[in-house]
Amino acid sequence: MEKDLDKVIEEIMATPNVSGCLVADYQGLCLAATGDVHVDSAGIIVAISEQACKLEPNLKPPTVCLETDKRQCLIQRHGTITGAIYKLKA
Amino acid sequence: MEKIPDQIGYLVLTEDGAVLESGGELENDERVATIITDLITLSNKVDPVGFGPNEPFKKISITYDDHWFVICLSNKKIYVVKRSIQQLTTEGSAINV
Repeated sequence: MEKDLDKVIEEIMATPNVSGCLVADYQGLCLAATGDVHVDSAGIIVAISEQACKLEPNLKPPTVCLETDKRQCLIQRHGTITGAIYKLKA
Repeated sequence: MEKIPDQIGYLVLTEDGAVLESGGELENDERVATIITDLITLSNKVDPVGFGPNEPFKKISITYDDHWFVICLSNKKIYVVKRSIQQLTTEGSAINV
């Protein structure tokens, strides 16, 4: 059942500079996590995407990007699923 | 803050979310101020594995189709800028046709 999800995650992880990837459902439960990502952060990631959606409730969910000096975390919601990609800065 | 290119609104907040300065579409926008301070509080708890404890976020951006919000922390103040995204003219004409 989760073969499709595994395939998507494999593709994401094959992208250059990607260090980790996490997918969670609307309740903040982790569906998949690979690389340098902690499963426990699924709840926080969903909470961040929900919080960002409140900014413009009439528009489709935005992409949130959290940046440090070395890395960035991109969070995007699609329907009930939220995905986060951790990238190293090029 | 008014001089930032493509800026359509800005906020300067204290760490607890009080509005110090504001302008454009975000003028006195307490609602956005609260949402953004909550977002920063949440982002502090993100992943100790993906991001080390000594690796604080320096920029948060929230991107929509035609505008984006940029959030930075400096000197114990939160700076928020709402900027429009310029669509390419070729793209616009393609839609019109």
